[in-house]
Parts: sequence; C-alpha cells; structure tokens
Amino acid sequence: MEIQLNAVFWFTLMIFVATYAIIISEKIHRTVAALAGAVLLILLGIITQEQAVEGIDFNTLGLLIGMMVIVTIAKHCGMFQYVAILASRLGKGKPLPIFIMLGFITAIFSAFLDNVTTVLLMVPVMFVVANNLKVNPKPYLIATILLSNIGGAATLIGDPPNILIGSAAELSFNDFLVNVAPIAFLVAIITTGLLVIWYRKEFVVKPEAQAAIMKFNPNEAITDKTLLLKSLIVLGIVLLGFLTHGATHLEGATIALTGAVLLLLLTLNEPDHHLKEVEWTTIFFFIGLFILVVGLEHVGVIRFLAEQLLQATGGNMVLTTLSILWGSAVLSAAVDNIPFVATMIPLIKDIGALSGLNLTPMWWALALGADIGGNATIIGASANVVVSGLAQKDGVPIGFWEYMKIAVPMTLIGITLCSIYVYFRYLI
Amino acid sequence: MEEKKFYVKDFMSTRQISIKKTATLKEAVAVMITEKTNGLVVTNGENNIAGIISSWDIVKHVVPDYLENEDHLSSFEAEAVFTSRVNEVANDSIENFMTKNVHTAHPSDTLMEAAAILAEHGIRQLPVIDENKKYIGYINRTDIKRAIGDILNIN
Repeated sequence: MEIQLNAVFWFTLMIFVATYAIIISEKIHRTVAALAGAVLLILLGIITQEQAVEGIDFNTLGLLIGMMVIVTIAKHCGMFQYVAILASRLGKGKPLPIFIMLGFITAIFSAFLDNVTTVLLMVPVMFVVANNLKVNPKPYLIATILLSNIGGAATLIGDPPNILIGSAAELSFNDFLVNVAPIAFLVAIITTGLLVIWYRKEFVVKPEAQAAIMKFNPNEAITDKTLLLKSLIVLGIVLLGFLTHGATHLEGATIALTGAVLLLLLTLNEPDHHLKEVEWTTIFFFIGLFILVVGLEHVGVIRFLAEQLLQATGGNMVLTTLSILWGSAVLSAAVDNIPFVATMIPLIKDIGALSGLNLTPMWWALALGADIGGNATIIGASANVVVSGLAQKDGVPIGFWEYMKIAVPMTLIGITLCSIYVYFRYLI
Repeated sequence: MEEKKFYVKDFMSTRQISIKKTATLKEAVAVMITEKTNGLVVTNGENNIAGIISSWDIVKHVVPDYLENEDHLSSFEAEAVFTSRVNEVANDSIENFMTKNVHTAHPSDTLMEAAAILAEHGIRQLPVIDENKKYIGYINRTDIKRAIGDILNIN
C-alpha cells in the first residue's frame, strides 16, 4: 500500500507530536494529554472507535493491573523490608558490603516488581540504613535509581516497556530471562563496582554505627505473618506461571490476574481498597498511548518512519539493531520510555515486514536501550523522578547536573556493554 | 414553654489563641505549650484566618517523608534522627505545613450547622469569624457538649 502524504497524514502526526510535547513539558498530566490526543483522533474520524479499541493491548493492561494488585497487598506484610534489613545485618554494619548488598537487592526486586514500586520500597530502607551508619545517604539513593532501572530490564515483568514488547512480539518470560537477564546482570555488577570506586571515600566504618546495625532484628519488619505466608504462596505460583508460560501458552495477563484474584480470595479483604490502589492513571495513560499509536499506524506515519530508518541504515542488520539500541537509550534519557516503546513496537514490526530482517535482536535492543537509557538523567524514568522527589523533601537534594555527572558515564558504559553483547550474541 | 434556640454566638468562646503565619515551628510549639492547647488559628496581618496549625501537623512535619506509611521500618531508624529532625525543622515557617483549608462558623449559625461540620470532618474546633471575615473566637466540641447538656437539663 502506498503511503499518502496527505493532509490527514500530517494532521495525525501533528496531534501526536503535540501530545508528546505536552507530555514532556508536563504542563498537562501525561494521562490527560494522551487520552485527549486519543479522543481527538476518534472525534475527527481519523480512526473509528472500533479501531481504537482493537489497538488497546489488553494483555499488557491485565498484566500490569494483576501485578499492581498483588504487590499492593503483599507489601503490607513487610517481606521486602525484611530482606533489606537482613542484608544490612549480614553486612555486619560495614558501609561497603551493605551498599553492595542493598544495590543488588534493588536490582533483584526491580526485576520482579515495577521500578517505581521498587524505589518506593528501597528509598526508606536506604535512608534508615545510612542514618544508622551515620554516612551520607546520597550514594545509596543514586544506586537505588541506577540499579532499579538496570534490574527492571532483566525480565518480562520488570519494567512496563518489557511488558509491551513481550506482549506485542510474543516473547515469553524465559525468553527475557535467557536473552536480557545475563547482560542486565553484568551491567548491574559493573555499575555497582564503578559506584563503589566513585564513592570510595564515603564508606567509612564507625564502631558505634556498627553496633546500631547489629541490633537490627529483621523479624521486626514482618508485621503480618499470615499475610506473609499467603503472599509468598501467591508470588511462588505467579513466578511458576511465568517460568512455564512458554509451554503452557498462558498469557501474561492471565497469570498475573490469577495471582491477584487468588490473593484477594486468600485475604478476603474488602476489594475496594486494594483495587483503588491500582495505579489507574498509569493504566489510562497506556490506553491513550495505544490509541494514539493506532492513529499513526492507520495513516502510515509508522510505516513512513520504518522506511526512513531502513533507508538510513541501508537495511543493514547490524546498523539497524545498534541504531535502535542507541536511539532508544538517547531518547529514553529525555522522554518517558513508555510512549517511546509503544511507538517503536509497530515501527519494528514494519521494519520486519519491509525488509524480512530477523526482529528478535531488535526487540532486545529496544528493551535494553529504553530501560537502561532512562538512567542517564534525573528525569529519564519515573523511578528517578520519585527518588529525587523524596530525596529533596528529606534534605538530600540531588542536583540535575550533579546526577548527570555520574549517571551519564554509567549509562554510556552500560549501553556500550549492551552493544557488545547484542553484537556478539545475535549479529555475527 | 418557648423553645430555646441554639446559636454559635451563645456557646462560642471569645478567647483568641492565634499565631501569625510568618511564625516558625519552634514559636508555634512555644505558644501551644504556654497556652496548653493543641491547636492554633493562623492569621495574616489583618486578623484574617490563613490556616490552622495543630500539634498533629507538627508531628507529621517532624516525621521524614520516607517514614510515613512505613510501619515496617520505623523501629530500625537511628535513635539520633528524632533529635536531629526536630532541630532541622525548628525554623521552618508554619505556613508550609499548616492546614490551609479551614472550615469556619459565623456567630449567627445554628449549633447544628457547627456540629455537623465538626462531625463530618472529625475536627475539634471551628474558628468563628465575623461578617468582615475577621477571627473573633472559636467553638469546639466541648461547647457543643455543654449545649447538649442544656437540652437534657444536666447541670
């Protein structure tokens, strides 16, 4: 089909760019902006309501909602805090081992929880531990940001862009575990190592601080043992569901919502409260984006961009994949990675349709670039914004440039490692 | 027997315990301690109500944000943090953490009106303002209780 570069094409593109600009400027809430753009496309007859609804990926939404319900219930038992406090105990009150362990825990939590949930759990731990150690909390907070984004890249459920990619490209939890987790793990180790070198002067052992940490009794963090047991059972079932869904062909949403319903049944709580805690604003943001992207696809903007990208790279596999990786990293540092990935997914599908290239490496490149690229600036990902907000309120402001000075080199090194990995594993 | 009417003006207290909005946390705590009260009306220069500050607002301001909604971690916080936090926020302007959305009553309001507001919002006292919106006193749950006693002929 020939793309018509007509008025409708340009007008749709204009609506889309304007919506993006408003989202970046934060003048209007991103959810309202995305929904306004989506509704406008339907009102103007550029797409029909049926086309809009067809474009909504209910698998992504179901997976997000299911995981949100599970986590909002499970976090009340204190198990995540238990693990973090236990690590501080095991670190014997020495700032360096505690820093490494808490960083590692952040990455692991983030691989299974949403990044924002992870930082909301970890920031209080970091403050409490740093206060007890009588050390500067800043290195711990910066590590929380960097490692939550890196850890989030590791699995299908670690970061919303991965859920989008997995759902659209039909990639399983294990596909992510085998292909993305190893490099995410390596980047996490290298990043932690570099942070340790960078902040080496901050890790001073103080005997009285050591004594304070050694008094920690992790069991005090567990506020509800029955809930702990129920949550562990449900999380175990959900994890098992994801590990086997390549074989069982259950979709992500089915697994997550099964877990959510099971936990609701087990706790027999008033569902009102737990369902209210679901981040509906985020869910509606996704809905708006899906519809906007349908509009772009429908008038041929996505196809047009795919053609331009293929032309620029000459249809070369290595060049195309690495441009996706670096392009995603740079753009995710500046804009929210969710709208970016939502737009890139149909674009990559079109690249496949136009060129017949193998798309799998491109999906990994997109996930790695979008997830890890968000580390570069303090506004690059939602987790960064949340941490800097809390830090600011509690008297440890992290400056925009101050953050970039450490985060940009870290991100460059991370993305370079990803490039080497993707190149040697998939492109030669 | 003629039925007695109950108005705010008959039960309110005209004692004014207020503080200027430019005051600091330390000054507010000092006034609360000397006045033996947990709530102060915050006024601007012209005796107009700018807000209310309660010891509740002060407690919440002293607790760092990262410990709010964190019942799992507060027992692990370093002992020195309470003292250092109090000293850290001592000179913060009360304007930054007072309750700005204040419900008020007029002397001519019925007691039921005032009681309904107290009940709906679970608050202890309502500042009373005159027709020029100037702060002239307050009515609290103890005053309402007195009125209930009146009706029930309890002395």
